[in-house]
Amino acid sequence: MTVDFRRVIRPVAIGTIALLTEYALLGTQQFANALTLGAIYALIALGYTMVYGIVELINFAHGDIFMVGSFLAMWIMTTLLGLSGPVTNLLNLVGLLSIVMFATMVGMGFIGMFIERFAYRPLRHAPRLAPLITAIGVSFILQNIISSLFGPSPVNVPQIVPLDKFAFMGGKIGYLNVFMVVLAVVLMIALQLFVGRTRLGRAMRSTAQDREAAELMGVDINQTIAITFFIAAALAGAGGVIQGLYFGSIKFDLGFFVGLKAFTAAVLGGIGNTTGAAIGGFIIAFVEVYATVLGYTQWSEVAVFTVLILVLVFRPSGLLGQQLGERA
Amino acid sequence: MKYGKLGALGAGALLVFSACSGTTATAAPGTSTAPGGSSAVAAGAWCVGGTVKIGTELPMSGGETANGAPTANGVKLAIKQQNAKGGVAGCKLDINVQDDALNGVHDPQTGAKNMQTLVADAAVMGVVGPFNSGVAKAEIPISNGAGLLMCSPANTNNGVTQPPEGDTYRKTNPTKISYIRTASPDSIQGPSAADYLYKDLGKTSVYIIDDTETFGVGVGDTFQAEFKKLGGNVVKRDSAPKSTTDYTPLFTAAAALNPQGVYLAGTTPTGMGLALKQGRTVSGLETVPFVGPDGVADLGPGGTQGATITIAGAASHDVYGTVGSAHDLADNTFTAAYTTEFGGAPGAYSAAAYACAQIIIASLDKASATATDLASAREGVRANAVNSANSFTTVLGSLNFDKYGDNVHPFISFYKVDMTLAGGKGDWTFVKQESFSDPNAQ
Repeated sequence: MTVDFRRVIRPVAIGTIALLTEYALLGTQQFANALTLGAIYALIALGYTMVYGIVELINFAHGDIFMVGSFLAMWIMTTLLGLSGPVTNLLNLVGLLSIVMFATMVGMGFIGMFIERFAYRPLRHAPRLAPLITAIGVSFILQNIISSLFGPSPVNVPQIVPLDKFAFMGGKIGYLNVFMVVLAVVLMIALQLFVGRTRLGRAMRSTAQDREAAELMGVDINQTIAITFFIAAALAGAGGVIQGLYFGSIKFDLGFFVGLKAFTAAVLGGIGNTTGAAIGGFIIAFVEVYATVLGYTQWSEVAVFTVLILVLVFRPSGLLGQQLGERA
Repeated sequence: MKYGKLGALGAGALLVFSACSGTTATAAPGTSTAPGGSSAVAAGAWCVGGTVKIGTELPMSGGETANGAPTANGVKLAIKQQNAKGGVAGCKLDINVQDDALNGVHDPQTGAKNMQTLVADAAVMGVVGPFNSGVAKAEIPISNGAGLLMCSPANTNNGVTQPPEGDTYRKTNPTKISYIRTASPDSIQGPSAADYLYKDLGKTSVYIIDDTETFGVGVGDTFQAEFKKLGGNVVKRDSAPKSTTDYTPLFTAAAALNPQGVYLAGTTPTGMGLALKQGRTVSGLETVPFVGPDGVADLGPGGTQGATITIAGAASHDVYGTVGSAHDLADNTFTAAYTTEFGGAPGAYSAAAYACAQIIIASLDKASATATDLASAREGVRANAVNSANSFTTVLGSLNFDKYGDNVHPFISFYKVDMTLAGGKGDWTFVKQESFSDPNAQ
């Protein structure tokens, strides 16, 4: 079995170099902060990149899907499960987290499919600007629904994971931070395996490559695209869960900036490339945290979008290159 | 080419159109029958339709509810009590409520639009508000041009009134100022907090974070200058815009410098509530005092929508705050009347808003003697209120204003959070108050 340079060695090399540089510049404590933030960005960036890969739509509502996910998780925790504070029994905690995570991901998956069915599918053959505008419209619809349901002020999320920390290499790391990063990595690996090793994954790849040909080969295009939206929204939902658990507070307009940064991450890694999106998420988080460490918090967003512009100018296909079909 | 398009689309998405959500609500005044005592006087010809209005221009919704709603209630109470006495010179009072919160956070453009609405309503004799200094700077040029009095219970930024910056907001009528305020400016509020942290709490080093807004930067600067003057060490100063969601890296970097206290220079709706909540979780900052200005010390108990303690939750312990108004009132019937009327304790600036309404009422009473129509009554209110020779008996004590519109007898009250109050959710308790002299007397 030969090792494919493009698919394996280059991502691993870029990922390792990026992580080592981050660690050297930030130190243990801030590195942990950057990784945690990166986990959230990466989970959202995956959704942007998957949707772009398959229908070439920049789904600007995706940041808001993430936001809705955080509210859904909050609602499940408070209203359905009646939680209000830390759960100290480890077994209970694992059980509750699994329930919240599973329910939110499935719930968001269906919301993602619903949006695709009614907002994007009717416009699939329209000029490309039409679905883009629709995406912005969906973004506002989601924000306004949440704003009217939960109010425009920040809403507290019960922090069911105790905020305990352990000493590690000169810093203090929260168990929650570890959980978030591990969860993100596990979901990313699961996604890679799904796309690379299953029938549905193959259908997704073939649809991305050449939709008409895939259809001629018997791939159900509508179903494949719907599943892509399901997975993208489910990942955003997982991001929403950990966003709430980590920050303890969510707001209806949370998705806009986070979504924009995750989009930047997707472009940075090479849009359409899932590994690239994950690495891009961690790099964007690093840029943001590093700007803060240097004392330029006000400029952190400028730094993030400067990175976007530089990438578009000098390496328009992103760090790992785009993975798109013939028509792209 | 394709990627160029992608970038352009990304840029296009940044141009987001937000719908404005200014609301106009006209609340009916309380009782309209004059009880015994002053006999009902027939309203003069100037009082068109038998009713004039006091406007309020405050952030009323979303995260700002804990700021604006109790403040507007102060005005509602004053109007109700005045109408019970038969109104002003036989003319009944009504209220015109404007909300400058956009998506739950105060917004200068919305405030400016609201001020245009109030100016256009000829029955509005004076306006109580705004709450936030950044909003005031957008509104004063409009009220100055129209000659409509604004009395702010809560603005504290020095540049709102004081030259050279203050002059730029009253260019249309430089000699006819239209704005007065009862709160202490930040040249008093910031240093008071610094004195409190350094002398009363005995902390010699501090980390300062501001919200990049007019008020936050201003109060942060004055705090920083005073803390240094006292011999304290400002370990770091950061500015984080209100769009910030992750304050952890900021506080992690600051915690490495071992500050003994934190100053939150800003308001809770613009991020200081989240900063408190997240900063507390950072190693080394679990128990240090967090001190905030009136934008943090909203005096809302835990559970009130948008209140600091509600947002920060269990992180609200060891939190202190300053308010640019008196706590011990000259008229101690106010608190009881307020609680009876609205079923809760007054907010940080309820009494000050009540005082502003009293000033507008007293000025209108004086102006009604010579007024011939609504426009001349409005101008009379403005001229009487800003006249530094006039002093007003209010709930805060006797007030008069200097040539820039600043209160010549400002107060600072100090509060701290007691987590055992409000059924374990926490509430603010009064610590002490101090009085100061005219901020522009030097």
